[in-house]
Amino acid sequence: MTRPGSVLDSAVLVTAVRYRVAIILVATVIIAGTMVPGILEFRAVSLSLDRIGTTALVAIGVTVVLITGKLDLSGGAILALSGIAAIGLQEQYGQIPAALIGLGVGLLAGVVNGFLVVTLRINALVATLASMLFFRALCHVLTDSRPFSGIDPLFGLAVSRPIGGTFTLRTILFVLLIVLLHIWLTRTVAGRNLFAVGSNPVSAEASGIRADGYVFGSFVFAGFTAGAAGVIQSLSVNTGSPVFGETTSLLAIAAVVIGGTRLEGGRGSALGTLGGLLVMAILTTAMEFSNVPAYVQNIVTGVILLLLILLDRFVSGKKSRDLSPAAMLRLVRNRRQSHNERIHAS
Amino acid sequence: MSAPTATDRVVKQSLFDRYGTSLAMPVGIVVLLIVGTILSDRFLSISNLTNVLINMSIVGIIVVGMTFVFITRGLADLSVPAMVAVGGLLVLVLDDVIGTWPAALVGLLVATAAGLVNGVLIGYAGLNPVITTLASGTIVLGIAQAFVGGVIVYGQDPVAKDVLTERIFGTVPTIVLIFLLVALMGHLVLARTVFGRWTYAVGGNPHATEASAVPVRRVKAGAFVLTASLSGLAGVLLGISLQAARPGIGTGYEFDAITAVVVGGVSLLGGSGSIPRAMGGLLFVQLLTNIMTLQGVPSEPQGMVKGALIVVAVALDVFLRRRGGRE
Repeated sequence: MTRPGSVLDSAVLVTAVRYRVAIILVATVIIAGTMVPGILEFRAVSLSLDRIGTTALVAIGVTVVLITGKLDLSGGAILALSGIAAIGLQEQYGQIPAALIGLGVGLLAGVVNGFLVVTLRINALVATLASMLFFRALCHVLTDSRPFSGIDPLFGLAVSRPIGGTFTLRTILFVLLIVLLHIWLTRTVAGRNLFAVGSNPVSAEASGIRADGYVFGSFVFAGFTAGAAGVIQSLSVNTGSPVFGETTSLLAIAAVVIGGTRLEGGRGSALGTLGGLLVMAILTTAMEFSNVPAYVQNIVTGVILLLLILLDRFVSGKKSRDLSPAAMLRLVRNRRQSHNERIHAS
Repeated sequence: MSAPTATDRVVKQSLFDRYGTSLAMPVGIVVLLIVGTILSDRFLSISNLTNVLINMSIVGIIVVGMTFVFITRGLADLSVPAMVAVGGLLVLVLDDVIGTWPAALVGLLVATAAGLVNGVLIGYAGLNPVITTLASGTIVLGIAQAFVGGVIVYGQDPVAKDVLTERIFGTVPTIVLIFLLVALMGHLVLARTVFGRWTYAVGGNPHATEASAVPVRRVKAGAFVLTASLSGLAGVLLGISLQAARPGIGTGYEFDAITAVVVGGVSLLGGSGSIPRAMGGLLFVQLLTNIMTLQGVPSEPQGMVKGALIVVAVALDVFLRRRGGRE
């Protein structure tokens, strides 16, 4: 690969790329805030966060799977299946047990994915494509291809209504999960190991990390978050439907990649995913407020995604550099110090 | 039998190991034909089998391109639905302005141009194919939708429709002939030309291939351009033969094509596979679908069988590879 000159190597640009999610987020907020009146009001923010909530829960699982270097296309189908379980079993088992069973269905679907990828050694793209087709078809079989309602429309209101006039349960849940995931990824040994597995499974295995276990676990976790997304989604609209979440998987992957997680594995962050989700949430709401058709939103999302992966490929694909805020501070201090010394010497 | 070669003496293989993988698909298809005949007396009729051929034509054209992508280790092209929509929408929007066949050419060229973008980004810039084609597909589909206003477009040229669906020699419609021609050309390119050899080399070992002065990037880009233009062609044919197209017309074709290629035993790891194998996979899936439909199974639940089929096909492939010590 021919490398363009030193412009792309400059510390400023590399730093900008490193914190691109934050920069894009701020830019989106400023642009949306000036062009669309009322978008930054609390109610609009709360609404747009709730709108992205379902995708967000799926995206949390996808983040972990992508960090291990695998891919999961089945999240949307698992979402629909869990929702159908949570609504369809209400009459038999009661509402709360049915919701718990829905979560269990998601977990089980994740186990199936893990089995296909880890035990049968099937490529993750193909394996989750197969399980996606399977789960989606199962949804159609179970529901006879028709959406259906739950027993009590009031039961789900708690899920869809903002708690104490602030945010919905779904929003609080996904933000909380992302913060927890961030702590797990950055502050624990297991989180470190996950990155090791993603960047080089063989050497991770050689250093005593059970790579297969981590990959399996990541699929189970992704199944669980997709299940949670499905249960919450279905409860909030009191409907189980075989067509729920048909575009969710790809949207979630897009949000995660916008957040700086790479499909090649070994790199990614939970806070980045949060940034990617927020960007998409604000964009969607802003464009809806100004009556921009959905396909234009798709174009914008696609272009952002494409530009980001291009930038990622050409700027940060080089030697690792410590770019944490502390390291930047140290750099500036050292520079000033050496500058002072030079003045002293002369 | 050919004379024993060096590998025969080094690696002892049973007959099954040697011929199992290449015989599995023909045997499977024959089994399906037998099962289908037993289950339904309508199955083994000219009209039903022609229906199977018609049904597999559109996706079959895409499968040819997808096989190239798989062999170059390009993972998969997820922008197929967008390219199909571009072809279908453009041909129907433009047919009363410039005539159907020039419109078809425009649709094909636009899809090819979009594929060129894919090719440059994946082949030359080295981006991940999955996320790149996902993004480019979203953009291209969005532009196509903006172009027609996000609605259904109807065709104005029933004559062109008749040309495609007209049965030559009384049995085979033109659309099937086009598909067979594309498949044959794809096979010849892959099996008989330098570009075909390069395609295998790029997927088998990119570094060694690059060192041998093969234009690796161009070959990899070529696979995506080919898939895009063939998807555009499929969209054009679909649009003309239905005389109606909506932006979602191509949804699912990418997964159908991947399913066929995977069931045909073409590995995602690249470097191996062939058009006949992919076509075998396609035929297998189509016959299975046809048998289920004749048995009154609705189309949605058939996905369960397809999903299971992919798992069995790939797991078997992985198992046989390990047994053969080729992994």
